[in-house]
Amino acid sequence: MTDSPKAPKVGDTFTLVRECDRYRPVYYAAASGDFNPIHLDPEFARAAGLPGVILQGLCTLGWAVDAFQRYLGDPGKVRGVRVRFSRPIAVDDVITFTGTVTQVDGERLTAQIDAVNQRGEPVLKGAVLEGVA
Amino acid sequence: MALSPSFVGRKYGPFTYEVGVEKLREFAYAVAGGVPSLAFAGNSPPDGLLPVLHDKAAAAQSAYGAIVAMPNFAVVYAIGPFSAAIMDPELGLNVMMLVHGEQEFEFLEVVRAGDVLTTTGTITRAVSKAGKDFLTVQTESTNQHGRLVARGTWTAVIRG
Repeated sequence: MTDSPKAPKVGDTFTLVRECDRYRPVYYAAASGDFNPIHLDPEFARAAGLPGVILQGLCTLGWAVDAFQRYLGDPGKVRGVRVRFSRPIAVDDVITFTGTVTQVDGERLTAQIDAVNQRGEPVLKGAVLEGVA
Repeated sequence: MALSPSFVGRKYGPFTYEVGVEKLREFAYAVAGGVPSLAFAGNSPPDGLLPVLHDKAAAAQSAYGAIVAMPNFAVVYAIGPFSAAIMDPELGLNVMMLVHGEQEFEFLEVVRAGDVLTTTGTITRAVSKAGKDFLTVQTESTNQHGRLVARGTWTAVIRG
């Protein structure tokens, strides 16, 4: 890619803000095929012990990957991702992703990413992204 | 029914997925904050979406020569073994109480429209702990050239 950023270095940061708008779980269901009713049907979600519909965890993972690929300027430079889903995302939640490059070894780099909702509560735990410069 | 380690080693697949360009676009649009449709929502891409993920002309000029998949599109083409394990009647999981606990991917090749991806998976962890069941499935996906495209580690937690 011609618009790649300059060489990543330890301490670089990148951010992305994403709102779980009312229809995001529906849009993500359509695109991903994850039609589990806990993401679509408030009554079903409450019967499953949730306060309401929650966003697909894999959409949250997608947001983290998107933040990283924007930083790298190239989806092909993303080589790995690892996340634990620590808290569900509800409709109207606004998630702020903050990535920090923690290691650069030759062309390979590692970044940690924090993802918190509008109350400052983490929605991912120990999220790590691997890439190449 | 509580999960037991006796299920470790159980295999699922192969599952085959043929990649289409509009599906790649819809997926990228939905993840990047847009609508996965070229119909009523109009066809303008979400802000900041990398051109190689949706713009045919720009992608043709890139090193890849064609639109490529978001790396995490693996959640679509590689999920077969994980969902098969979750629905496996012999495991007897209460799907209603199931949440996705952890996810890990290693990406080895970019994915383009027209790729035919084949995924197999194996249960690597099945335990009952503190009233919860934990199920982990590891997957490997290869393309039509026999090259390894992605490895995945998928963990479900079944609450009580």
